[in-house]
Amino acid sequence: MHSTAHQATARQKARRGGSGLRPSLFLVGLLVLPALILAVVFKLVPLVRAFWLSLLKTQGFYDPTFAGISNYRSMLRDPMFEDAFRNALMVFLSLPVWVFMPLVIALLLFQRTPGWKFFRAAYFLPYMIAPVVVGIMFRQILSPDGPLNAMLISIGLAPLAIEWLNGPNSALFSLTAVALWSFFGLGVLTYLSGLSTVPQEVVEAARLDGAGFWRLLFNFALPLIRPVVGYWTVLCMSGMLIWMFPLVYALTRGGPGSATMMPEYLVFITTFEFLNRGKGAAIGMALFVFVAFISTFVVRQMYREGRGRQP
Amino acid sequence: MTMAMTNPAVRRRRRQRAFRVAAVGRWAVTAALVMVAVAALYPLLFTVVNSFKSRAGYAQNPLGLPDGISFDNYVETFIRMNVPRLLLNSVVTTLGGLLLSTIAALFIAYAVTKLRIRFGNLLFLFVISMLVIPSQVIIYPLYETILNLGFGNSYSGLILAYAAFGLPMSTYLLVAYFRAIPDELIEAARLDGAGELRILFQILLPVSTPAIAAMSILNFVWMWNDLLLPLVIMGGSDNTTLMVGVALLSGQYDVSIPLVSAGLIVALLPVIIIYFLFQRQILNGAISGAVK
Amino acid sequence: MTTNDTRRSFRLRSLAASALVALAMTASAQAQDATTIKVLNWQPGGPEYWTALVKAFETENPNIKVELETVPFDRYPEVQGPYIATRSGPDVMQQNAGLELFDRRVAYQELPAEVLAAGDDLLTRSGGCLNYDLTQACYGLPFGFQGNVMYYNKAVLSEAGLDPANPPSTWQEFGDACEKVKATGKTCLALGMTGVFPAYWVFPEIARNYLTEDDMRAILAGKMPWTDPKMVSILQAMADIPTKGWSNGNAPSISMLPDGADIFASGNAAFAGTIIADAVNWAAFGAALGDENVGAMRWPAVEPDAPLAKSFSGTESAVFGVTTWTDKTEAAQQFVKFVAGVENGNLLTSLGGGIPLNSKVDPALFPKSGALEQIREIIKKPTIHVGVLLSGQETDALGRGWQEVALGRLSVEDWVARMQVALEESPGKN
Repeated sequence: MHSTAHQATARQKARRGGSGLRPSLFLVGLLVLPALILAVVFKLVPLVRAFWLSLLKTQGFYDPTFAGISNYRSMLRDPMFEDAFRNALMVFLSLPVWVFMPLVIALLLFQRTPGWKFFRAAYFLPYMIAPVVVGIMFRQILSPDGPLNAMLISIGLAPLAIEWLNGPNSALFSLTAVALWSFFGLGVLTYLSGLSTVPQEVVEAARLDGAGFWRLLFNFALPLIRPVVGYWTVLCMSGMLIWMFPLVYALTRGGPGSATMMPEYLVFITTFEFLNRGKGAAIGMALFVFVAFISTFVVRQMYREGRGRQP
Repeated sequence: MTMAMTNPAVRRRRRQRAFRVAAVGRWAVTAALVMVAVAALYPLLFTVVNSFKSRAGYAQNPLGLPDGISFDNYVETFIRMNVPRLLLNSVVTTLGGLLLSTIAALFIAYAVTKLRIRFGNLLFLFVISMLVIPSQVIIYPLYETILNLGFGNSYSGLILAYAAFGLPMSTYLLVAYFRAIPDELIEAARLDGAGELRILFQILLPVSTPAIAAMSILNFVWMWNDLLLPLVIMGGSDNTTLMVGVALLSGQYDVSIPLVSAGLIVALLPVIIIYFLFQRQILNGAISGAVK
Repeated sequence: MTTNDTRRSFRLRSLAASALVALAMTASAQAQDATTIKVLNWQPGGPEYWTALVKAFETENPNIKVELETVPFDRYPEVQGPYIATRSGPDVMQQNAGLELFDRRVAYQELPAEVLAAGDDLLTRSGGCLNYDLTQACYGLPFGFQGNVMYYNKAVLSEAGLDPANPPSTWQEFGDACEKVKATGKTCLALGMTGVFPAYWVFPEIARNYLTEDDMRAILAGKMPWTDPKMVSILQAMADIPTKGWSNGNAPSISMLPDGADIFASGNAAFAGTIIADAVNWAAFGAALGDENVGAMRWPAVEPDAPLAKSFSGTESAVFGVTTWTDKTEAAQQFVKFVAGVENGNLLTSLGGGIPLNSKVDPALFPKSGALEQIREIIKKPTIHVGVLLSGQETDALGRGWQEVALGRLSVEDWVARMQVALEESPGKN
């Protein structure tokens, strides 16, 4: 056969950025359909149904009737709605801490501090613990006469021994801190793997050159592992709100008042506790817009990294 | 680096200063790392200690060590929760979700990166953009959809939901990984007459184990620990997962904090065991798959 | 069981269900195959009692097997909601009497007279019927009595120089007692404000001081605005509890169960307002503190001259009803009948620490407890339990508002306004 010629054209094709022959429809279907079906049936269809539901008046459990935008009006009247989104925004403002705190720790570990393997293992452990478990644990630890305050008082920091979960700001702060506690280990590990591609000699040389820790961080580490920082930021942004839900559920239930109310928790209680599915869906749509707005950046970043060159 | 341009004398002086600073700095760094480690480990320790206290013992001494070790809370946990059954539910649904989302992601990542198909990039964009739909937004219609399909209260319903929610991130990781694998490798295999599926499973799969391991850990942890999907899809009692069982235990009538602590430890134990068994793989290799 | 298109074919399905009943009746005569019914419940009275109940029922009805789906009380709506919304799931469900049942009555079959007759020996069963009216449709049968009392720790009272035989009976006396208790370094009233407990456990006890039974029915119907001076007075009195320092400082961020009750059970508080049956009751506190140390009293009267101030806010602890979507109606009804019967009453009394509604229950089965005797005295003058008449929104807003009032971030006026919004947003009350 004309195998050499064939090979040549194939190579050419490959070099042009494409690959292979045009595959059979059956094969494409087999490869594409599972993911497509999962995405459409379990995400897109429910989203469309949620939008439709948000236009219905759901009287308790009676048959729903069309209600136009009345659920959205009712949603805007609800003081908790505003609080929930303000809190979500506040949580997002802590993103730099989520990104840099693990990076600093990873860099400290990367300098081969004695016992770094133990530290690495210890830091990753919280990530494995379910958020709902974390929430229940911290309800005890953060209570006014709990161990955290006992410790603060015993080392002479009594003024810091505040009622962590009671204050309007301290409750949200505590919730965010607990979430961070729970996830920073994954960040440390992610950064460490990124740093492992940086040759030790480079770091040593830079240190001997008199580079301080911060210069090391900003001048060497950051530029070298920028893709890793990007990946971790993507993970944080897309995950923060989702990670928050079980914590709110187990730790504060959105309280005191609405100090730690999050949009996703509000959707949940409106739908399942107040039995107002229509309004729950309306709040859900608002949350969707909010998340979509924030994650456009994330998805664009992901798309850039993963798209092929050919049209 | 600038090093090459510095003269040797300056370098020596800098080196000496660097060592002095390093000695002090190393202590400070270690102290800081120890503090972070204490903060990371203490809550778990606190819970373990409490789980061995009696109700009265906890009331008198909530913070200290127990007078004696009592396993009553663990016995009670097993009475109140059908632990083996819930464990089985957790294992089946997590593994199912893990497997399904991995296979679906492998397939579509292969199709998008290594086959010449129309709208490949668009497909990729579509799948990863599903990331912007959080489960909380669609939880009710999702549940309705699952019921319409006849999967309510069943393993399949939860597995499908897990797979769908794990898909965008898995696809993203695999696509990025596959892109880095040279097309020539695949071309060569094709010329040898290998089918596309064989190429996928015999060539790409072995090469991409780090990426698969990384996404498996991400997926395992969130699926095992998830609360919302199993709570709504599986209902209460024996049908649900271990994690929901614990969440529900903590809301039950007449529980005490030591009892809840024991429940938490029971729910955590499988994960902790896996962590210790596979610690090296998890800590060394796994996450590196995510960052190439 | 198909679950598709439930809404559209709802009426059709009830028809089909009755046809199935007829079928089931003829079929059960021939086939001895056991029918399994699924019972959604929150296990009031504890696991030991429920195991015994199921065993007794299955012994009496060898053709029926019972599968329990147990969900804790304060997570119940989240699990039950999807079942009702999609009209699928359990054959029998437990429900709080009051608004919760009325809100969900589409999920329950109207019980036929033959089934209701099983409740003839019950002291009351109106909570299972529309508007608390026995002549209207009834959806469930109860078995136990439930309501709120205030437990006190006699040892803590003595330590504070108070007379344990004469606990405070008015708001004024309660305040004075709290000052003395606080002087000993202990909490006066153990309290947790998250979740449904403020609405179910505290609100009715204060509300009795200001409302008549007609007012309470108006609340159920959504006809009583929160801006009414009576309602404002209730919230004002509730606000006094934390702002006067009677409760523990972390009350706004903890739940009454288990955290709040734990403070009392650990002997660190003088008083705790909880319930008479199921859990955190005389039995649980007696076991934790010693029976001799536990007393039970009515909540101190805010307005001692009010007509209902000396009454007991009682309610059927819960009712059991048959779901509209079940195809095992007969077996399900059998279970509901059994729940209301004397055998279950005896089990509840001896094993569940409950107060039975069935008048035929053997009095000798009541455990010996001073607090229980006090409770049996208190419950002799029952009135409507107004807590179970609040909607989900009202319940939620009540708890959250109280938290913020306790923390000094919300005025009572603003709390009133939020309650009014919650009322207007309640689907079941408009």
